Amino acid sequence: MSALSLGASRTRPAPAPRRGARARRIRAALAFYGFISPWLVGTILLTAFPVGYAVYISFTDWNGMTSFMPWVGLDNYRQVLTSSDTLSALSKTLVLAAIIVPVSILGSLALAVLLNKRMHGRTVMRTLIYLPAVVPPVAAALIWKVIFDKNSGAANRILALLHLNAVSWLTGQMAFVAMIIVLVWAIGSGIIINLAALQTVPAEQLEAAKMDGAGPLTTFRHVTLPAISPILLFQTVLVTITTLQTFIPAILLSPISDSSVVTNIQPANDVYMVDVYEQYFDYSRYGLGSAMIVVFFVVILALTALIFKFLGRSVFYAVDPTEGRS
Amino acid sequence: MSVHEISAETAAAPTPEQPQAPAGPRPGPIRRRRERHPVAFVVLVVASVLITLPFVELLINALTPSSDIGADRWLPSAFRWANFTDALHYIPYLSLARNSLVLSSLFGVLTTFSSALTGYGFARLHGPGKKILFGVLVMTMMVPPIVTLIPTYLLFSLYNLVGTYWPWVFWGAAGTPYTIFLYRQFFSSLPKELEEAAILDGAGRIRIFCQIFLPLSRPLLVTAFVLAFNAVWGDFIGPDLFLNSSNTTLAVGISSGYDNTAGYPVYNLLAAGALLYIVPVVVLFLFAQRSYVRGFASSGLK
Repeated sequence: MSALSLGASRTRPAPAPRRGARARRIRAALAFYGFISPWLVGTILLTAFPVGYAVYISFTDWNGMTSFMPWVGLDNYRQVLTSSDTLSALSKTLVLAAIIVPVSILGSLALAVLLNKRMHGRTVMRTLIYLPAVVPPVAAALIWKVIFDKNSGAANRILALLHLNAVSWLTGQMAFVAMIIVLVWAIGSGIIINLAALQTVPAEQLEAAKMDGAGPLTTFRHVTLPAISPILLFQTVLVTITTLQTFIPAILLSPISDSSVVTNIQPANDVYMVDVYEQYFDYSRYGLGSAMIVVFFVVILALTALIFKFLGRSVFYAVDPTEGRS
Repeated sequence: MSVHEISAETAAAPTPEQPQAPAGPRPGPIRRRRERHPVAFVVLVVASVLITLPFVELLINALTPSSDIGADRWLPSAFRWANFTDALHYIPYLSLARNSLVLSSLFGVLTTFSSALTGYGFARLHGPGKKILFGVLVMTMMVPPIVTLIPTYLLFSLYNLVGTYWPWVFWGAAGTPYTIFLYRQFFSSLPKELEEAAILDGAGRIRIFCQIFLPLSRPLLVTAFVLAFNAVWGDFIGPDLFLNSSNTTLAVGISSGYDNTAGYPVYNLLAAGALLYIVPVVVLFLFAQRSYVRGFASSGLK
């Protein structure tokens, strides 16, 4: 990169004649819109329009088949917010996120900090720890389904070694624990971003802290953590959003699979997304399903805002990311 | 510590120094020794082993003969490699794999290029409404896919595109918000002089993009492609909803394909099929790993 900037000329472009300025601005705007047009058109057609459509459907009692969409006003929303099934699915999903997000963020941060030290086998260990993040969710769920099988799975064989009774992992309340284990397995998914972030911590500052007699923990807290805090915030938001949408482990961990999407879900794994699918595809209640989606979106936005409010305060922006690093 | 190690670490240090310079006596000494971190090492080894064990268990299951299923033993009486060929025939594995490959590559190429274009636009060009549009981009990162999936299904079915690969073409062409964001960060970090000189030479924006910026972003291109490929290779809901049994992908195929008539999974074949399904993405990742890691590093994610 430095070689290229050396090659570039130091002189500023010659000031253009005045009457050309307006035309140049228009040309620049055209170039900007030209470059972003695939995304812009795609977002209007494939995001904005569907979101608007979902909001419209949520005010109807549509069954997905008739061309007539009976308008029911806020009925669906009333039902979403009062149905005990939906609310328990929502609280289950929030509990799941409350467990997964801290474990995943802190776990991958800790692993990245350890991997950032120079030692033998570092590259191999980094690859192994990251690997579950590459494994497709369907495969991850199936791997653990084999392990958690009541009769032949490795999980119960380990319990037997410890002289503990066999557990029915995939049914009842344990199904929720099984789902958590599947999600925690990918704890290393953040280490690559974290390692990249740790590399950007200014070496002079780490040195200065050491010269001042700061221990490793103090240095981490006052130098490293502030420097990587924007990335941690970004990750927290992403992991929260992804975890709230957990769906595949919930349906694929069920001991019997069935072609109809959600008939065999364990009640313990009846997370919000599963509920939405049930409304759409088992009961053809498109209106109610859409209302659930809209409510869910609002919950996600609110949570994101909360995360920004409470964690964003402690985020430390050293430099404007668009400016060069000093 | 050997001289080789010292010089290797010096090369990685931000300020170049003579390789022979003894570590230590300079003002503000930077430790150049390969330090020992026994605790960190042990923790990492334990974590690596724990995380890797499920893969080992999957392999063992994939090699277990049917007669050993349910037996209380850690290793099967014999390794049955034919499970893999059986897994390939239990479901139409190869045609499912081809569908996955076509769909993932198609989407990967399109979205990588389209995201680069948009990222460049946001990083280096100016137009009215840019700030608002960038806000929209960040917002769309937070829209759960399910919000748009079902209305999009209705939209595509209106044009008879359900059951075809066209939705992935449109999704790909629209770019991926997260990837656009990475590109925008990366392109913003490049010096202004890069295009100023080219503009003086009379180069157009498209040429500047294709000949200067795109080649510079190569690690990020790899990162973007791997992310996109893996996303489609692993996607279950998309093909489950938009495709039918004749053209669906492996993710859907293996999720319920290895059940016996009673609806219970045939564990050894399921394991073999799942293992074969994982191999391509793991190999792709291992091959691309260096660029992939650099792609994240270079975007200076903030």
